[in-house]
Amino acid sequence: MPLPPIDQKGIFLNIPYDEEFRSLYLAYIVGLCSLGFVPHIASEIPGGARRLDRILELIQSCRYSIHDLSRVELSAPPNGTPRFNMPLELGITIAWTHLHPRLHNYFVFESEPYRIQRSTSDLNGTDAYVHRGTAEGVLSELRSAFWRDDAPTVPQMLDIHNWVEIGLLAILRVNGTNNPYTQSVFRDLCSLSTRLFELFHPLRKS
Amino acid sequence: MMDIAMPRPVHITTPYPTSEEVARRFRIPKRRQKELEALAQKLFAQMQAEKASARGRVLEKEEDRKNASAAY
Repeated sequence: MPLPPIDQKGIFLNIPYDEEFRSLYLAYIVGLCSLGFVPHIASEIPGGARRLDRILELIQSCRYSIHDLSRVELSAPPNGTPRFNMPLELGITIAWTHLHPRLHNYFVFESEPYRIQRSTSDLNGTDAYVHRGTAEGVLSELRSAFWRDDAPTVPQMLDIHNWVEIGLLAILRVNGTNNPYTQSVFRDLCSLSTRLFELFHPLRKS
Repeated sequence: MMDIAMPRPVHITTPYPTSEEVARRFRIPKRRQKELEALAQKLFAQMQAEKASARGRVLEKEEDRKNASAAY
């Protein structure tokens, strides 16, 4: 079976889709766009029987992936359920990376230091990037994981983050939803973040 | 084994994608692209106005301080 073409700017974002994560979700989008990536998330893929296959294809097509394991607790009662999608997608990615180490790199992000050693002890020896549950922390850790000579500073990225947060309201209204994780809202956010960076920092090299 | 999988910080050298490239990759329709461009321009103008007004406030304070010290 031929290997899929790899998008060098593509990065798969494996994150929880919940209301409390909204600000960090925006920080990931803004941070990655400002570092020159084109992020992708699983909600771009329609539901159906082949969903997991398509998620794997999306991971395979991206040069990098980020797995945020900060939601290891049960979801809200009365149906409190552990969240297995993120560790599942991380597991798929690890298998893919071990088969083809030159084609993919993955990064694990967490909100609390050393918790990964307790929640996912098989990952011992893996240093997670710890964002401490703040947008500034996410931007700072992204800048640590991916560096480029002309990278914007964290305050510059945080500034854009704040403006994208304002723009999100208009984007949600146009898309007729309150859910920022839908495919159309996600795409609009990526497009807006990239454009705002062009306007705010016109000297960066395209 | 983990050294292979979990990389050290990566140096990115690929050029930044333009907003047109991002729109193309996501297959955002032309009409929606125009709306997003208008939104970006509006936010940018708002940001510039805020910065100008903040600068104005700083200059005003500076002027007040100068006047006060001259009077003293």
